[in-house]
Amino acid sequence: MSTARNGATGQPASGFVAPPVVVLDGGAALASEVLGNKGYGINVMRRSGLPVPPAFCLTTEVCRGHLADPEHTVDAIWDAVLHAMSWLEAECGHTFGRGSRPLLVSVRSGAVESMPGMLDTVLDLGIDDEVHDALAASFTPTFADDTRERFRRMYRRIVLGDEDGTVPDEPYAQLRGAIEAVFNSWDSPRALAYRRHHRLDPDEGTAVVVQAMVFGNMDTTTSGTGVLFSRNPMTGADEPFGEWLPGGQGEDVVSGTTGCEPVTALRNEQPAVYDQLLEAAGMLERLGRDVQEIEFTIEEGKLWLLQTRRATRSAQAAVRLSLRLRAERLIDDAEALRRVTPTHVETLLRPSLQPETRLAARLLAQGLPACPGVVSGRAYTDVDAAVDAAGEGADVILVRPSTSPDDVQGMLAARGIVTEIGGATSHAAVVSREIGRPAIVGCGVGVAAALEGRLVTIDGTEGEVRDGILQLRAWSERDSPELKALAELARQISPLRAHAKGPHPRLDPSSESAVREALQAGHTDVVSANPLITMLTALRVAG
Amino acid sequence: MLELKVLQAVRLKGLVSPDDLAATVDEADDAVAETVAALTQSGLLVVDETVQLSPDGRARLTELLAAERSTFDADAVSAGYDAFRGINGDFKALVTDWQLKDGEPNTHEDMDYDAAVLGRLDDIHARVIPIIRDVADHLPRLASYAAKLDRAHRKIIRGERIWLTRPIIDSYHTVWFELHEELILACGLTRQGEAEAGHAQ
Repeated sequence: MSTARNGATGQPASGFVAPPVVVLDGGAALASEVLGNKGYGINVMRRSGLPVPPAFCLTTEVCRGHLADPEHTVDAIWDAVLHAMSWLEAECGHTFGRGSRPLLVSVRSGAVESMPGMLDTVLDLGIDDEVHDALAASFTPTFADDTRERFRRMYRRIVLGDEDGTVPDEPYAQLRGAIEAVFNSWDSPRALAYRRHHRLDPDEGTAVVVQAMVFGNMDTTTSGTGVLFSRNPMTGADEPFGEWLPGGQGEDVVSGTTGCEPVTALRNEQPAVYDQLLEAAGMLERLGRDVQEIEFTIEEGKLWLLQTRRATRSAQAAVRLSLRLRAERLIDDAEALRRVTPTHVETLLRPSLQPETRLAARLLAQGLPACPGVVSGRAYTDVDAAVDAAGEGADVILVRPSTSPDDVQGMLAARGIVTEIGGATSHAAVVSREIGRPAIVGCGVGVAAALEGRLVTIDGTEGEVRDGILQLRAWSERDSPELKALAELARQISPLRAHAKGPHPRLDPSSESAVREALQAGHTDVVSANPLITMLTALRVAG
Repeated sequence: MLELKVLQAVRLKGLVSPDDLAATVDEADDAVAETVAALTQSGLLVVDETVQLSPDGRARLTELLAAERSTFDADAVSAGYDAFRGINGDFKALVTDWQLKDGEPNTHEDMDYDAAVLGRLDDIHARVIPIIRDVADHLPRLASYAAKLDRAHRKIIRGERIWLTRPIIDSYHTVWFELHEELILACGLTRQGEAEAGHAQ
């Protein structure tokens, strides 16, 4: 096996095909399979001249090596890591683990989509007492304390998996601990099960990205963190969408801390930065040829982009965006059809709460989705009253502070369940799942009083209680303009053309195997109950 | 004691058929039937096809539970509740893992997965029975919860899996849920207070 040289360090990296540690300065010419999607994205953003905190990554190869030989692999490349840290220091003008301008870093796994069981992100790494004091002197003691607390909490929770564990004092030990923990989490039981279930490559490994920290928690007036979608991922509308938390760091937004504003609030709060953000989003959308979900931080009025990825989107948005991006000539016909899956269309054909309906109705409460489904009715907080009302044919939504055995009769009588207190393993969640009632738990104290007597719609999939009886609606291939447009497109390209009626053989059911057979039999036209789904399936089968 | 047992059982079930009531009270059928008749007579229970507490019955139950609280060593029962709380989280996590696999409803097609979850139940069962016995030394009325958990556990081992989580019947989860409620009340606490203290996740 040839030994590669690390362009940044000039050191031989024995046993690896590519350099094991790669600085993401825009020049890294390696694929996302090596750098990880996150690292690859950071490199692209740097190359495009966008403001990204300097970062380097350890490649997926190192991960595979570490899992095969945990004793020696990271040791062997540690010099390269130190060299990359020097580069980081030089880029930022800060010093790691020492000095009056300390460098803190984040350590993240390389995948863009997190896998359950996998270690995700550790922020604010590199603090010991000396560094803490330097931060307090340069900024404020409050900031230094808050940042160290955040770091310790995350390190204990994520790296040690023990709330009372001991965090290493020494910054380089913290760095090493976090890096190895990310690699090890690739093989956590849940991650293994997830990959098995989704038939993903078990041996790929994950890259690790080490990136200089920027501080959204510096203050609440000119700093914060947020997520921007370049277009609305629920409706597909061409408008910016997302969340912004003044004074927050990434973990706060992800964990749904209160205080999040819609990202459009930045238009008033920091207009110049907002414009810069939208411009960057537009550029990344064009580069990626798709809607982007961008994680960003503003530190004292300066914008930093941390990560970008293709936005996850609703079925409605998937259809609308594929047609829209094709109309804008960002993607061609074939790609437009590739972006809508048979499952998307199946979902749309079932009655559901349309995103526009949802967004137009006032959000009354939010909690943890415990059992999926959407139901409407009148909110009752008293179990006997709920049982009586249901006995008279009313649609009841039971809203309770927590759940005791007293409530079970009420839960049975109700169409849906909401609680103030409780998590995913609470009795309310368990019983709701057993009896199949849409349920939302942990909406917060006071919700029962606020909802009593109101007509509401609860969405146990999204975890939302909204005002009023909201209608569910289904799309149809025959009547929905977007589906008709896609079907016309598909008819021009699909190897198998499907029609609602006509002098063609009938494909019934239009399963993947039936489609495969029809193709092999040399049919060009068929009749099926869901022509668009049939054609999307045929395109996928034919590759 | 039978009056208290019957009233409490009816309260915990909300609405219960006479047969299910007898089963859950875990006493001789005719003694239970007699008690139900007497309590109905005195207006504490309402019986048509099912048995329910009347408002008077609820008040009487509160009285009896308060009186009971003065008969046992509160510290000993508190200690028992603490021990129970130590495994409560594990049990609820197990139940959720039974219901959801990788965030999706468990189809129970993966026998290894299910077997692993039920293995954890065996552990939990072995831990909880001595705790209940210790509490029952001070509060004898609660001894039947050990027997009911045991019965449910044996049915689960025999392959009758509904006896893990089905509500209303004395499934393992139902009995556990009711036991938790009993312990909360015996310690003079409230479900809401416990939930706010973080013991309801």
